[in-house]
Amino acid sequence: MKLRKYLVAPIAVFALLSISLAACGSNGSNGNSAAADGTLVVGADQEPECLDWVATCSGTSWGSWAALVTTLPQAYFSHASSGSSAAYVYEPSPLLAGEATVAPGDKQIITYRLNPAAVWSDGVAITSTDFKYTFDQIMSGEDIYDTTGYANIESVETPDPTTVVVSYKERFAGWKGLFGSGYGIMPSHLLDGKNRNAIMKDGYTFSGGPWKLDGGKSGWKKGVSITLVPNENYWGTKATIKKVVFRFITDTSALFQAFKAGEVDFLYPQPQPDWFPAVKGGIDGATIKATADTSSVEALWLNNSKPPFDNESIRKAIAYSLDRDAIVKRLFGPLGVNKAWQSFNPPIVAAYADPAGFSGYTLDLAKVAELMSSQGYAKGSDGYWAKDGAKLSFTLKTTVGNKRRELTAQILQAGFKTAGFEMKIKTQDAGVLFGKTAPSGDFEMTLYAQVATGPEPGNCNIFCSVNIPTEANGGSGNNWTRTNVAGLDELLAKVDVETDTAQRISDSKQADLLTGLSATSIPLDPLPNTLIFRNSVRGPVADNATLGPFWNMNLWTLKG
Amino acid sequence: MPIGAELGIGGIDGHKPRSQWQLFRSRFLKHRLAVFSLILLILLIFACFAANLVAPFPANQQDLVIGAVGPNAHHWFGTDELGRDMLSEILYAGRTSLRIGLTVAFLSTLLGTLVGAVSGYFGKWADQGLMRLTDLFLVIPQLVVLAIAIQGFGSTQVVIALSLAALFWMGEARVVRGQVLALREREFVEAARSIGASPMRVVFRHIIPNCLGPILVGATLAVAGAILTESALSYLGFGVQLPATSWGNLLSSARGYVGTPQAYLIYFPGMMILITVLAVNFLGDGLRDALDPHGSNG
Amino acid sequence: MIQFLGRRLLYSIVVLLLASIVAFVGTRIAFDPTARLAQVRDKQVRERERERLGLDKPIAVQYAKWVGDFAQGDMGTSEVTRQPVATMLGSGLGYTMQLMLWAVILSIIAAIAIGVYSAVRQYSAGDYIFTTISFIGISIPPFWFAFIAIQFFVFQLMAWLNLSRPIFYFVGLHSTGASGFNIDYLQHLFLPVLVLTVQNIAGWSRYQRASMLDTLNSDYIRTARAKGVPRRQVITRHALRNALIPVVTVMALDIGLLFGGLVITEQIFSIPGMGRIFVQAITNGDAAVLTSWTVVAAFFVLLFNLIADLAYGWLDPRVRVA
Repeated sequence: MKLRKYLVAPIAVFALLSISLAACGSNGSNGNSAAADGTLVVGADQEPECLDWVATCSGTSWGSWAALVTTLPQAYFSHASSGSSAAYVYEPSPLLAGEATVAPGDKQIITYRLNPAAVWSDGVAITSTDFKYTFDQIMSGEDIYDTTGYANIESVETPDPTTVVVSYKERFAGWKGLFGSGYGIMPSHLLDGKNRNAIMKDGYTFSGGPWKLDGGKSGWKKGVSITLVPNENYWGTKATIKKVVFRFITDTSALFQAFKAGEVDFLYPQPQPDWFPAVKGGIDGATIKATADTSSVEALWLNNSKPPFDNESIRKAIAYSLDRDAIVKRLFGPLGVNKAWQSFNPPIVAAYADPAGFSGYTLDLAKVAELMSSQGYAKGSDGYWAKDGAKLSFTLKTTVGNKRRELTAQILQAGFKTAGFEMKIKTQDAGVLFGKTAPSGDFEMTLYAQVATGPEPGNCNIFCSVNIPTEANGGSGNNWTRTNVAGLDELLAKVDVETDTAQRISDSKQADLLTGLSATSIPLDPLPNTLIFRNSVRGPVADNATLGPFWNMNLWTLKG
Repeated sequence: MPIGAELGIGGIDGHKPRSQWQLFRSRFLKHRLAVFSLILLILLIFACFAANLVAPFPANQQDLVIGAVGPNAHHWFGTDELGRDMLSEILYAGRTSLRIGLTVAFLSTLLGTLVGAVSGYFGKWADQGLMRLTDLFLVIPQLVVLAIAIQGFGSTQVVIALSLAALFWMGEARVVRGQVLALREREFVEAARSIGASPMRVVFRHIIPNCLGPILVGATLAVAGAILTESALSYLGFGVQLPATSWGNLLSSARGYVGTPQAYLIYFPGMMILITVLAVNFLGDGLRDALDPHGSNG
Repeated sequence: MIQFLGRRLLYSIVVLLLASIVAFVGTRIAFDPTARLAQVRDKQVRERERERLGLDKPIAVQYAKWVGDFAQGDMGTSEVTRQPVATMLGSGLGYTMQLMLWAVILSIIAAIAIGVYSAVRQYSAGDYIFTTISFIGISIPPFWFAFIAIQFFVFQLMAWLNLSRPIFYFVGLHSTGASGFNIDYLQHLFLPVLVLTVQNIAGWSRYQRASMLDTLNSDYIRTARAKGVPRRQVITRHALRNALIPVVTVMALDIGLLFGGLVITEQIFSIPGMGRIFVQAITNGDAAVLTSWTVVAAFFVLLFNLIADLAYGWLDPRVRVA
């Protein structure tokens, strides 16, 4: 009997603990909910690897959304146009004193005028020297993430502190995306002659945006959170929310649970189907905003140089085998996204897209039969198309561990089976798929998303025949599908350099039509972006597919 | 380590004993939980491997119209987001999980027995070398080895099974080595040696058959360990990959449903793992008791 | 005893060295530290990086350099975060140690209590209940248990008690803005520690029960009882101490292995400890972190092996004499 003592002690400790905890927990939301103490807690499913934005370690989206756009100035902001069109527009940021001017003539010369009121958080003016310093770092620094566009620049001149003149040696149509989008202007007076990487990578004290890291380096608690507080010296609209904390919840499926449990107030999750049902019914006290006007197109990429998809008729037959609208509805219906996307130009550059080519492909089994028999195929007793006794079978390769892609693959598999095609599924590590399989052409069909980094059209990079990876170009081309359509190269190459918008739109639309008519690959859907936040968050809260939703957070307010 | 040391060495007191097998069987049958577990396991293995006959729906049959619905008379375990019947999916997935469990148990037992026998019988440097190797394998964290192997060679079922087998033999090796050390000086082994039997023959014909008991118990532990570890690998994304399914990846792909009305998608696959592993452990317990009547009641 | 320990120590160092070779070679085979540069358009970047990391040299040379640096406390730099690996692991260890400390204390108390109770009241209803529970504890997939625990302790409790905030949390070790040892910390600690302990409590309590039964049935305990020593005193003074000897050894060995179990727990509960560092390193192919991680983990296993030896010697006087 007395032995109970041994058991009683731990049980009692536990019981006491639980009761006291219950007592604490039940007195409601006095703890750390959004409104109470002016703190906004954002759940982030990815942690940046470093905050030195021009270095190779900086390539995480959440890093730029949370800490780059909010703390460093950029020349241009891109965001959804206020009209009905899905397309994004560029607008000069508060850093500029108006639109930059483009010099007439063949040589591309851009002149930026800086807002004289623009200052760093230490009160020193943001000047043309900072533009030059930023450009020099990108072009001469070691371990630079990407120099696309900057490499076309001949010189950056600084005739006076508020004037920047950028001359190009080769035309670059997407110039508004430079000195911004993924990079920011850096303060030369604090960094010049010093080790930029060492000063910035773990967090920095300076700011040229509405926010700054709370305490510099200590604003980034590795593995836990990044904390922002208002930059008191910001020259534009000052932020009113006292503190914004980005908490890292790297188990993506736990994000939504953390929101339900009140641990975070704001989510910008990847579109994964396991939280869709819960969103569909709505959440008490929360706003859900989903949009299909994004920068990503998920597509079925076909290897145009390898059987069976080196055959245009079979590519078309595949396209006629799928009810793509139904697939999209199945995947994203709960978010209100029901239509397939009919171009490889994503919605944010919808103005440059011509859906006519791909929208002709709808589920039409008679067409499939016609196309397949024209190529000498007949349906075998097992229901699959076969030629000379060989069953037509192909493998879809996609990234491992992405539930949405796994589901998409399984839906496709069922659809293709009905149409008489045997599709096998193989999942690969993203590093392997994008580093090896796709570049080397070791695939028949792949499933992944094409992401535009800004509102710029142009698919020459992935569809021009010169960019097919070969021995000659060191396997570096990104035309992994080995697309090679007569006339396409000229059109796409023009899109990359043309600065006349009307001409650029017309060229881009023609290119779209060409890819559609020969069904080089098949676009499926725009990946929707979703914002989920408590109703206490007010203001112009909207998705920005290029900058992330936090770019205008200085205009938001928290209401109790 | 006295377990089973008395086995296989003739009868007691000189009279014709009940055979070893009869003794074992009668003792095992008294362990009702173990018997029940054995029957359950047999049923489970049958249901999974004959899933195409037993399962109410074909594998991967989607019903996009109904989507995810909770357990009901038509779908006992409910359906997933693609409208697939969970009971059927679980039975089909069980094939993979059980196959991995059984393969790993077989391979690791084989390897462990071999290492243990060689180490114990030959002693000296062979023993030193092999036991250091065993220590090394015990020291390096299992997940590291698994993750690296799977990263390096791809997460196919063969790679998963082989790397799991490479991690589960150490316990077996130690047990067998102890047994062999105890047995090798016994009269019947001496006798075999004295008539000129080769070491291989002595080990495989005389020694190993006499420590089958502990080997069997070790094998059941390996089945349980392999099924559990495969599911853990699935959670980390290194397990069996779709379209192949296992209980582990059914479970890990449902992890987002915690705290939602679809939580049943988490309950059932996990329950299957629990029941299987539990039954295997009870079975192992029953075997141990039946082999070692004097053993403690641990 | 000293000599014995010296031998064990020497032996441990040899095994640790072997483990580091396996870890080094394994990660070098499985991961190309420059793989993430495959998509950088400037091909020279990758070549330069290979040269900088010395990947063009023979693997033995690379290992020798690595081991030399490691011995001086330099574990290299992560290829992904550009942080010193030692800093990363140090910060991870801080979190991991908190979890381990609480998990170990709780498991030891609970396991011994349950084991003693079950042994003393063998075949009682309580014994059967604990036996069943511990079999379930051994057989349950830990991450499934974590899901179920979150489902019940967070969401069902919120629903039943009609709370707007949960009693127990499942993200990190503190709420946003909170720190230090307080009720908030305990609310966060409860679930991960529960998940970490369940298997150990189940396993250790079985050992404790078996060992206690052996002791209770031994002659000297019977003698003590026959001499009229009160039952309770027999159990606490004599039986428990002797029964603990084998259990403590098993505990020490298992604590060393707990490191592996942390991987899943930390991932589920978003705790930036060693486990999550491992998962991130694997996903990012961060070879420098993986190699050192493995060696640190192996070090812990060996350390607790040594502690097991020590504890055995300390608790069992016969070993000390020998």
